[in-house]
Amino acid sequence: MSRFDRSGLAGAAVLAAAALVAVLAPLLIDAESLDVTRVTADAWQPPGAGHWLGTDHTGRSVALLMAQGTGTSLFVGLTAAVLSVGIGTLVGIVSGHFGGLLAGALLRVTDFFLVLPALVLAIALSTVLPRGLGTIVLAIGLTSWPSTARMVRAQTLTIEARPFVERARALGGGHVHVIGRHVVPSVVPLVLVNATLAVASAIVAESTLAFLGLGDPTRISWGAMLHQAQLHGAVPQQAWWYLLPPGLAIVAVVLAFTLVGRALEAVVTPRR
Amino acid sequence: MLELRNLSVHYGPKRVVSEVDLTLAPGQTLGLAGESGSGKSTVAMSVLRLLPRTARVEGEILLDGDDVRTMSWGRLRAVRWAAASIVFQGAMHSLNPVRRVGDQIAEPMRLHGTHGSVAELLEQVELPREKARAYPHELSGGQRQRVMIAMALACGPRLVIADEPTTALDVVVQAQVLAVMKRLVAEQDLGLLMISHDLSVLAETCEDLAVMHRGELVERGRTREVIANPRHPHTAALTAAFPVIGDPAHRWAEPAPEPEPLLQVRDLVVDYGRTRAVDGVDLTIGRGEIVALVGQSGSGKTTLARTIMGLRKPSSGRVIFDEAEVGRTGKALKAFRRQVQLVLQDPSSALNPRHTVFDAVAEGLRVHGLADEQEALVTAAVERAELRPASLYLESLPHELSGGQQQRVVIAGALVLQPRLLVADEPVASLDASVRGEIVALLLRLRRELGLASLIITHDLGLAWQIADRVAVMHQGKIVEQGTVDQVLLTPSHEYTRALLRAVPQV
Repeated sequence: MSRFDRSGLAGAAVLAAAALVAVLAPLLIDAESLDVTRVTADAWQPPGAGHWLGTDHTGRSVALLMAQGTGTSLFVGLTAAVLSVGIGTLVGIVSGHFGGLLAGALLRVTDFFLVLPALVLAIALSTVLPRGLGTIVLAIGLTSWPSTARMVRAQTLTIEARPFVERARALGGGHVHVIGRHVVPSVVPLVLVNATLAVASAIVAESTLAFLGLGDPTRISWGAMLHQAQLHGAVPQQAWWYLLPPGLAIVAVVLAFTLVGRALEAVVTPRR
Repeated sequence: MLELRNLSVHYGPKRVVSEVDLTLAPGQTLGLAGESGSGKSTVAMSVLRLLPRTARVEGEILLDGDDVRTMSWGRLRAVRWAAASIVFQGAMHSLNPVRRVGDQIAEPMRLHGTHGSVAELLEQVELPREKARAYPHELSGGQRQRVMIAMALACGPRLVIADEPTTALDVVVQAQVLAVMKRLVAEQDLGLLMISHDLSVLAETCEDLAVMHRGELVERGRTREVIANPRHPHTAALTAAFPVIGDPAHRWAEPAPEPEPLLQVRDLVVDYGRTRAVDGVDLTIGRGEIVALVGQSGSGKTTLARTIMGLRKPSSGRVIFDEAEVGRTGKALKAFRRQVQLVLQDPSSALNPRHTVFDAVAEGLRVHGLADEQEALVTAAVERAELRPASLYLESLPHELSGGQQQRVVIAGALVLQPRLLVADEPVASLDASVRGEIVALLLRLRRELGLASLIITHDLGLAWQIADRVAVMHQGKIVEQGTVDQVLLTPSHEYTRALLRAVPQV
């Protein structure tokens, strides 16, 4: 077993655990235990027998918050990545295959989004649009597709220069045939790998936005926990148990996605 | 100077070179012939210990009496290039595209601290000294290969190893490069170990010849004698594979009566920007006729073929197929493409590495919406292309097949649409000598059995002699001469045809 296989498996295990927590948490956790008006524990309790990871500024259990936040972080990460990779793939294939004026126009749009500071644009979008998960997904998705588009376009151009595409054209194949039978199958592995990496960066972006207070106020996410911790003075309270777990969880999940992406890349690279 | 004793090379359990003994004295020229996978390049790379780490080398490799296998790293570095150097295959990929060639030639001199002048080296390989400031892409293929030779000579080595130095070049340029190498070897008393799959190239440059087959040295002797009286059957197969122009035994095409025209090209002009690639070409291919279109690289022959296929728009002129003008768009063009099929030079890249043989062959059927009896049609086409039984191959991926089998798959993919004309761009150029003959025979059999006409585009005049009924010679976008094979190749009337024929290496 190669090094990539092992690290990829480790990544996959972390992701599986995170997914399990995300699915089970809302089912198992009693809504009351996360309701600030009904919690009984004291605020800023350090980790102990009652609360594994201590309590926050309102007395809620950090461990339960963590579990509850997993779903939001993963959901935003996955959907934003799908959106961004989807737009990127479409733009990339179309501009790579058709060329000419259309490609020129698409590439300028790509460049426009590429040079815009993504975070600033996302902040602007989430300020203007109504607050909610959808807005965050949209903000991240719309700002992170240009690099995928560039990469897919490059791959499309490489494939289209190969003699087997010329052969397909000579056989009488049109655009749909060339794109469907030759371009898409060779782009998909690359896109898949890219998607796993996009999920990782989308999770970071979500955390960033939430940390800056631009998240969905009705939902708990790891980024939002960090925001709350910072807002309510976890640092002066020296409540490391409120800051470290969400931060480490983000690192772990992002690393896991990256490892899986790397391993996938090694698997899908075509044998020659 | 160089002595290989009992050299064996293994990759894992696989033995790629077994017990090779060779000696080479200063001033001696030795050709090493063999097909792909015969181990000839492995032997050459082992001389400078350039094999990958996974290779296990046994035996002795003595370079001026020192065993390369046991040399210290420092000593090996000193020996590389200063005692023996290599002219690599494919100058396109062996030169750094972003550095001037002069700097690249000077690189080994700087590393070894030898004195010398790049200008002098360039003059030795008959390049003007200003070319030192050129980047690789500004040079032609032949010029790049000369740069590689100049680089190999930079530190004054006594042994030069040339690995397929002329493979990607056309006949005329090949003749020039070979002449340069011959002269340098004679002038500087170099030892030359030249590796090639092409016996005629080796016959042109080397006094001695060694033939490798499946990792073993099967024959060794004076070049003339080996080629005239091959003792090993593999050598005989290699010599037979290179047709001698004018030899009736190498002419495989049966004489055919003057056929009715199938495809007519009238006054075709194709421009690339300001360059005129095809300049007023008239060409006729009869029903069931095989026409060879010969010319150097850059003569416009490939552009002409692409334009005939409708893959490129002509600037002016007409293409008439079966007495009707070929449409340039939509349905008419699609219908035309069913009748005319393309076979490309390199079968390994003409097949999508992700598609099985079945998918590759069925592609044409799917494009034209002929879904009925797909399986039966594909099987029939694959068997026509002599991959029998078809069931053994249908689920294979291209990388599991040999070069010859891949080319048969490409041909099957063309046959499945029951075309009337094949346009084949260098159909055998990237195939091994022994496979080459089989593919040529297949094309001729298809003509005989199916009445399939072919336009064969090639720079190989031997192939034209072997297979064609008529030959058209293309030079700078124009067809300078066309006629029957006998007329054009035996009694050429145009000066350019004569120059091409002179450049063909003689066995």
